Amino acid sequence: MTIRPQSDALRGSLDLLVLKTLSLQPMHGWGIGQRVQQISDGVLEVNQGSLYPALQRLEKEGLVTSDWGTTDNNRRARYYELTAAGRRALGAELESWRRFAAGLEAVLRTT
Amino acid sequence: MRWIHAARARARLLFRREAEERMNHEIAFHIEMEAERLVREEGLAPQEARRRAVIAFGLAERHKDAMRDGRGLAWLGRLGTLGLDFKLGGRMLVKYPGLTVVGGLAMAFGIWFGAVTFHMFGLVTSTKLPLPDGDRIVKIQNWDSKLAQDEDRVLYDYQLWRSARSITDVGAYRDASPNLVGTDGHALPAMAAEITASAFRIVPERPRLGRVLDASDERAGAAPVVLLGHDVWTRRFDRDPQIVGRTVQLGNRSATVVGVMPEGYGFPIAHELWLPLRTNVAGVEPRRGLPITVFGRLAGGMTFESAQAELTAFGKRLAAEHPATHAHLQPRVIPYTQADGDSGDMPQVKALVYFFVVVLVVVVCSTVALLLFARAAARQTELLIRSALGASRRRIVTQLFAEALVLAGVAAVVGLAAAQLALTRLGKPYIEFNYGRLPFWYDFNLSPTTIGYALALAAIGAVVAGVMPARKITRGLGTQLRAGSAGGGGASFGGVWTAVIVTQVALTVMIPAAAMLVRSESQRIASYDFGFPAQEYLGVTLGLDGPPDEMPTPETGARLGTLVEALRGRLEAEPGVAGVTFVDQLPGTYHVARHLEVVSLPGHPSSWVRTARVPTSYFDVLKAPMIAGRPFTSADLSPDAHVVIVDQGFVDRVMGGRNPIGHRVRMSAEQTPDSTAAQGPWYEIVGLVKGLGMSHVDARRRPAGVYLPFVPGDQGALGIIVQGQGDPLSLAPRVRALATAVDPALRVEQMTRLDQVAAPQLWFLNLWMRIIIGLTAVALLLSLSGIYAVLSYIVARRTREIGVRVALGASARRVIASIFRRPLTQVTLGVIGGSILIVVAAIAVQHTQEFAAVKPSGLTFGDVALLSGYSILMLGVCMLACVVPTLRALRVQPTEALRAE
Repeated sequence: MTIRPQSDALRGSLDLLVLKTLSLQPMHGWGIGQRVQQISDGVLEVNQGSLYPALQRLEKEGLVTSDWGTTDNNRRARYYELTAAGRRALGAELESWRRFAAGLEAVLRTT
Repeated sequence: MRWIHAARARARLLFRREAEERMNHEIAFHIEMEAERLVREEGLAPQEARRRAVIAFGLAERHKDAMRDGRGLAWLGRLGTLGLDFKLGGRMLVKYPGLTVVGGLAMAFGIWFGAVTFHMFGLVTSTKLPLPDGDRIVKIQNWDSKLAQDEDRVLYDYQLWRSARSITDVGAYRDASPNLVGTDGHALPAMAAEITASAFRIVPERPRLGRVLDASDERAGAAPVVLLGHDVWTRRFDRDPQIVGRTVQLGNRSATVVGVMPEGYGFPIAHELWLPLRTNVAGVEPRRGLPITVFGRLAGGMTFESAQAELTAFGKRLAAEHPATHAHLQPRVIPYTQADGDSGDMPQVKALVYFFVVVLVVVVCSTVALLLFARAAARQTELLIRSALGASRRRIVTQLFAEALVLAGVAAVVGLAAAQLALTRLGKPYIEFNYGRLPFWYDFNLSPTTIGYALALAAIGAVVAGVMPARKITRGLGTQLRAGSAGGGGASFGGVWTAVIVTQVALTVMIPAAAMLVRSESQRIASYDFGFPAQEYLGVTLGLDGPPDEMPTPETGARLGTLVEALRGRLEAEPGVAGVTFVDQLPGTYHVARHLEVVSLPGHPSSWVRTARVPTSYFDVLKAPMIAGRPFTSADLSPDAHVVIVDQGFVDRVMGGRNPIGHRVRMSAEQTPDSTAAQGPWYEIVGLVKGLGMSHVDARRRPAGVYLPFVPGDQGALGIIVQGQGDPLSLAPRVRALATAVDPALRVEQMTRLDQVAAPQLWFLNLWMRIIIGLTAVALLLSLSGIYAVLSYIVARRTREIGVRVALGASARRVIASIFRRPLTQVTLGVIGGSILIVVAAIAVQHTQEFAAVKPSGLTFGDVALLSGYSILMLGVCMLACVVPTLRALRVQPTEALRAE
């Protein structure tokens, strides 16, 4: 099964994925997409283009910051990093996601 | 912290070009990386890999649009149309950087000036202590209606006042400045209050160590105790945690430390040491005894009026019982922070100052209005289209107002930040210079009230700068719509703008005249001629321990004389000291004035003279040999010697150039308005010396100086002059140490190198100089940009006309002349107006009694030449503002101008 977050439909989960990925280390946009795909064994495939509006939104909310940096092969790239507020937001999002998933699971079990 | 990150991210996104570049770079980078991955992992050809990467990215343009929508001030849009207006305003700031900088700076300056003035004035005139219930803390004074002054010998009345039911915790204090010997063994004067224990109930604060003073300390025979301030504890006792219970030396007394107050505690004013005040003195007579200041707190439910009524009744009772002393005394209850003396007209002065600031802001903002008007005029087409699309006039005015408000908001932030800087860096020393000490309730951090006032100024500024031009420019929109033309007609610069520009040019001409006055003052003071190499000498003022308001008695004077003589002896033996002498008043400070009569001249010419008492060594140490006659000898020190030495100023001003030696003079005892010289003893002039700084450094004329032989006894303080072999300031620590060694009660009150006596005055004048230069710069900037804006606008509006003129063969000269006529008239009018104002002000100053003391010596020929030169320069600089628009006008091509139609 492949979940393709269709822009708004799973926007919440896209934010969650981005925050979670950035909690490991600062990363550029392409790297974030790759990491999500790697970790989920290709199950979750982030729509590559929709990543950037999401990053911009998170940055405007003060959850991530960004700065220019250079990649391993010496290319200029925009690196994103989680702020303290972002870290707190990740905790809250995770919590609510887990509750949501548990609720969904409960409903699916009984019916 | 989150909002800081958010605000920074949003601010960055405001810059469109940078944001676009960043977005494009990120997307390109992404596609490149993806393509490389496809080549690497799936073995695709580079071209195919890139095609697949682009497809995988999705519709790049759609994502870009999503980002563009999310960027900028879209979040403001949620606030409704006003948000949209603010958004446009923000964009205008970026789009017209010149206007933003000039207009914003001007407004920021107005707001800065307003905030600083408001805050400083608020501090000085505040009637409320910033403490819980601070407005209920009062002072009780005895006002002498006959002498129109405050009578502070109120110990007798105080006993009765304490029984008042409307005022509780009535207490009293008096200033003292004992010589406190610190851990390092040095004795330095400390600002102490002898105070009743009730003070610590009026302004309660837990001591940092030990306890505060209590009533038992005031009892006769109680052990002497002292309470230390935090600052003294830190500076003088190295924050010794074991200080409580230790004995410290206060001049010749010693006292046990009972506690240390926390940082910032300075009640009653700016005190750093507290000693018990014994007020229950038996047998005190009315209007006798120590001068004290009485304070208390309004009792619950009582008002100033009810307290005043009760005290008035007390006053009447005492007046009936003691008519000889109390007939004219009237107790008054006043707010604690109110300055002594009658300050009933303070509210009016305050209102006037605040009004003046508003006027200043309005004047400044009218120029900004001019700039905004020119900008709005350039956008007339846009406004017309808006109007055609259904925007009401009110809607357009609101939009232009919002733009001005955004500018004013930015200016307010800048102005307030600068105000905070000015308050801490300049305001504090300014108050210290003027009032000597900083009351503990003075807070130099911007208060919410000050910030509110500044924001109100910004709002007024925005109304002036935004609404005025908006109303003007939208007036003709309907007509223009009907006429179907956007160019020509409609907006034009009226008389108001002309007046604004003329006023500004006049101010720009006028303000430097004030700066010149200040500069000549400070130059005059800096170039004060001491008559001897003052930089080689250290001047030290010495006093004896005791309350500062106590008159010196012959005994204390004699003791001081003996101690100073002992100090002189020890200083002379010091290495590095070339000579030591003393005098009752240091050169360059105020000297005692006496009325003098030359009895040996026909007509007995008389004059005010400045006098100093000097020992025989004085002229030797100052290296000032006698011009004529002889110096003082030890025989002259006898009370019956009656000889004086005069200086060159005396010969010029009193003797009319005659040789003074051998003439006989009579002098009044001291400086009183009706003193006559007739009763004084006779003196014979035995010597003549050059002028040696017998006047204050800011005196305008060299005085006539008379030296009397030094007789110790009637001085409260003495100056000692030490000549060093190197920099005399390096001797300062030794002087302090030796003074303490001679007697702990011998107090070093002031110590400066003699040529730096005027340093505080110079600092003060310099500060004013800087403020005036700032004012000039702002006025100049404003008039220049105003003229520039008007001209650019005129040229833009007359493009077609100029084109037609050129097409019909008008010469460049005629075109220039037709454009220049207006600004030239304005600037000329301004320069003439400013010059007239200078002349009027100069005449007014010379005829005003209040300025008699600082009467400027009139504008010299050089000053006038300088001012004229400056006026011409102004004219030239203003014309510079016309260059760009004029060049633009001349470049207008006839075809282009006609196509504009």
